[in-house]
Amino acid sequence: MTSRPKLRQQYEIISSFQPALHVPQNWNYENSEPLYRALMHPPHDVGGQHDIPVHYEEKEEEQWELNTYVTCEVLGWRGVWNSEERRRRADNDLGYTLYLGMPYYGRWIWSAARMLVDKKHISLTELLEKIAEVKSRYAKR
Amino acid sequence: MPKDKAEKNRARFKEGDRVQVKDMPNIFYTRTQNYVRGAIGTIAARTYEDLIPEDEAFNYDGRLEQYYIVRFRQKDLWEEYPFDKDTLQTELPDRWLEPVRS
Repeated sequence: MTSRPKLRQQYEIISSFQPALHVPQNWNYENSEPLYRALMHPPHDVGGQHDIPVHYEEKEEEQWELNTYVTCEVLGWRGVWNSEERRRRADNDLGYTLYLGMPYYGRWIWSAARMLVDKKHISLTELLEKIAEVKSRYAKR
Repeated sequence: MPKDKAEKNRARFKEGDRVQVKDMPNIFYTRTQNYVRGAIGTIAARTYEDLIPEDEAFNYDGRLEQYYIVRFRQKDLWEEYPFDKDTLQTELPDRWLEPVRS
């Protein structure tokens, strides 16, 4: 079980995502046209937006990233999706907070898992049990 | 399968044509960047036929459409852009473009 202090910390992080901390709005009854367009804007279309200075570094792909890439491509070859539009559309469905908060290939693997559950190739309970099993296997190392 | 599958594939533009990007509703998924919507540019090249992104993203495959590389002046996209001659190129399918009469 998650320790109580850890649980408290997790809730504090989740609270910090609340839109009310940026602009007071919560379940608006009416949205202006610019606000509506901004709300509907898909997260992957980032061109033209302000950003903080970003430090770019040369970085090799990690093994899990390569595995993720191959997994997504293989799922494409097997015809369960394609690894371009459908995967990217699923990435967008994460919403801004998760889209921007997760590593690049983290979005990919999230989308692959979500798609496999959506299409009933695996059930969510199967997936949860598998993740828990793998986690405990690694914990023993 | 979409009803208009039989619709003849359009390829209305050729290199050098002036085009304006349509400002269609932007919900669920798109590949047409927000900042080129409504902007006027020039066809830099006719590339290939490919699936329509908004359909492909939701499994409606089958229709192919002509793609073009469209060139915009940076100053037309961003008023404050400091250099007159700089351009930006992006790729768009036929349905997102309208002819511009000069």
